[in-house]
Amino acid sequence: MNFNFKHEWIETNIGLMAVLTMLAISVGGLVEIAPLFFIDKTIEKVEGVRPYTPLEQRGRDIFQREGCYACHSQMIRPFRDEKLRYGHYSLAAESQYDHPFQWGSKRTGPDLARVGGKYSNEWHVQHMVAPRSMVPESVMPNYPWLLSTPLDISDTANRMKALRKVGVPYSLSQAEFDANVTQFGETVARQLHIPDAQKNLVEQANFGNYDGDRSGISEMDALVAYLQVLGTMVDFSKYTDDAFVEFR
Amino acid sequence: MEWLMWFSKPENTKPLALIIFFVTFIGIVIYVYGSKKRSAKLESYRDIPFLDDQPGDQDGTKDKQ
Amino acid sequence: MAVTTYSGTERYNFDIVKKFAVMSLVWAVVGMFVGVYIASELAWPLLNFDSPYFSFGRFRPVHTTTVIFGFGGSALFATSYYVVQRTCQTRLISDGMASFTFWGWMAIIVLADISYVLGYTQSREYAEMEWPIDILIEVVWVTYLILFVGTIMRRKQPHIYVANWFYLSFILATALLHTFNNLAMPIDLFSMKSYSLFAGTQDAMTQWWYGHNAVGFFLTAAFLGMMYYFVPKQAGRPIYSYRLSIVHFWALSFMYMWVGAHHLHWTALPDWTSSLAAAFSILLLMPSWGGMINGIMTLSGAWDKLRTDPIMRFMIVALSFYGMSTFEGPMMSLKEVNALSHYTDWTVGHVHSGALGWVAMISFGSLYHMMPKLWDTKIYSQKLVEAHFWLATIGIVLYIVAMWISGITQGLMWRSFDEFGNLQYSFVESVVEMMPFYAMRAIGGMFFLTGTVLMTVNMLMTIRQGKRESAALDARLAAKMAHA
Repeated sequence: MNFNFKHEWIETNIGLMAVLTMLAISVGGLVEIAPLFFIDKTIEKVEGVRPYTPLEQRGRDIFQREGCYACHSQMIRPFRDEKLRYGHYSLAAESQYDHPFQWGSKRTGPDLARVGGKYSNEWHVQHMVAPRSMVPESVMPNYPWLLSTPLDISDTANRMKALRKVGVPYSLSQAEFDANVTQFGETVARQLHIPDAQKNLVEQANFGNYDGDRSGISEMDALVAYLQVLGTMVDFSKYTDDAFVEFR
Repeated sequence: MEWLMWFSKPENTKPLALIIFFVTFIGIVIYVYGSKKRSAKLESYRDIPFLDDQPGDQDGTKDKQ
Repeated sequence: MAVTTYSGTERYNFDIVKKFAVMSLVWAVVGMFVGVYIASELAWPLLNFDSPYFSFGRFRPVHTTTVIFGFGGSALFATSYYVVQRTCQTRLISDGMASFTFWGWMAIIVLADISYVLGYTQSREYAEMEWPIDILIEVVWVTYLILFVGTIMRRKQPHIYVANWFYLSFILATALLHTFNNLAMPIDLFSMKSYSLFAGTQDAMTQWWYGHNAVGFFLTAAFLGMMYYFVPKQAGRPIYSYRLSIVHFWALSFMYMWVGAHHLHWTALPDWTSSLAAAFSILLLMPSWGGMINGIMTLSGAWDKLRTDPIMRFMIVALSFYGMSTFEGPMMSLKEVNALSHYTDWTVGHVHSGALGWVAMISFGSLYHMMPKLWDTKIYSQKLVEAHFWLATIGIVLYIVAMWISGITQGLMWRSFDEFGNLQYSFVESVVEMMPFYAMRAIGGMFFLTGTVLMTVNMLMTIRQGKRESAALDARLAAKMAHA
């Protein structure tokens, strides 16, 4: 402090104070967030994780719209009880195409990170319409409107285009499509092709018939399709228990 | 420019950052509490909230006239 | 004979302070009512009414946005405009800009609440507003910054009082957090829907960097600014230590930004990030308690005020809850504790001991101090203030205790095993255990809400009384003039 520093310079100079305050508050975020984008150990290399199909993505939009994240997490922690209850702990790779993330912060209801395949489509539909008819003690709201509201598919391609702009490898050109074939295989790559978005969505909904009603595509179709894919993309039997440790 | 590489290693920059922040903190503390004269000056600012008071304002019995 | 009170319109712009103060009470009642409602939905799911517009998922952000940004935000606008003018002894630089921040902020709250109910949400906790509303927030916030800094630049007092430092860091930090957490790609220029720029882990880290610092700067630093002005004023004695306030200001500003990742312990976020956050969370206890001690010790030598002055009691209880929740927070950020507490109601209880105990109580105290002065009168009823104090305190205690019990019960039930090493309880068994505590929490909320309603009535009566008095005064003056 030999140069005759005075805290009063700061106290009497609002510009200097603003700059120093900005400095003080910027460091923490920079140090913790910036490296996550560059360190390649943030996200594991695993096979099987792919972007959502148009129908699944629309289901995800509905999941978000109804605020499901307020009561259901999608992030299993590496504990024995969580493994028994929900399955293998969640990997960063499994949510790498999730814009935004849906890890949640509260389990008023159970975790959903690996709910895919655990219950039948019929169970999900009935549970969504009237949860207490399946689980009498449940406090979940009823969601009857999902079954009666037709899914708006008109802007499906637009949604995929927006996601493509933020980094999800949906394809617009032939070259992008070919790259997806190499990365994900041809069946998946077809689903990720934006020009066919609407067609793919209708096909998957009709083929899967998730809501049990063939007369049209409801919001329930999309939501159940999304729930049924959650946590199913990675085949954990291919990896040893220690395979992901270095990424933690 | 070889010396710049020293900063690219977390095992170097972590203690360095710690030292910088700690020294800054100690500096602030010494500055604030180090000198009696400065202390008195700083503490004089405590009264700013009361400088624009009106007579009788303090006890809430302000006369309206 | 001229009436030269400081509420005179020439010297300070108190009109804007009045507007924000009244709206902060209105939003408090609305937001807390919605809070009680959604708490009741968890206890009695029937209340969701099979309707998308009342269902818990869509209604919860209505509660959080209305109380944090509606009630808390308006209280901060009101007090910051009041404090900056009085400690700088100058008028806000622009009435037009002040007015714009008022109408802009009100529009933001209304639009946000309506959009959630209609299903438009970014699903980022405490930042659910979709992109068009985010842009409006950005514009209002920059105006606020310019207005606040501009007013400080025009000050007549050479030194900038410490309360203004806290308000400044709150405005700057909120601008920074809001901007980066809301980077998103709209699907169409005419659509409300957007997708976050970030994905998965990076997105989670960005959101909780925002989420915790919304607590750190919006709900803490700013309310500390409030504390540094209104506690000394109400106590009638200067702050305990100005030097302590300097040290704890810089420590708090620097350290808060590191701790967000403690919301992501044991997740797919790399360990080094959340460990670093945990370390800073522990360190943060020091500056937090520095602030609490500074506030409480201001009363040293005048402790009898706690018995005689219910407004002072609001402030001291607020500081006590601040001290308690800034101890509980670091404890919950320890990884071992977090393993139990995360995902449970304990977190909800912790948030509310900060939000109801600290933020709301210090705001109530400050508003009780400020509003009679604004309208140049005395509080309509001290008895109602007293009643409000007890209703609020009982409400908080009921709420927190209910959430502690239910949270720890949940955490323990989820991780308990039977003698064969299998899970002892199914998930829904833990839900059943929660029911009495969900009901208790809703009742605690009702207590708190009732207190807030009493305050609103009391303040409206105070305003009416102030208006009548000044009308009578004007009439008398006019009569005098006519005689002369």
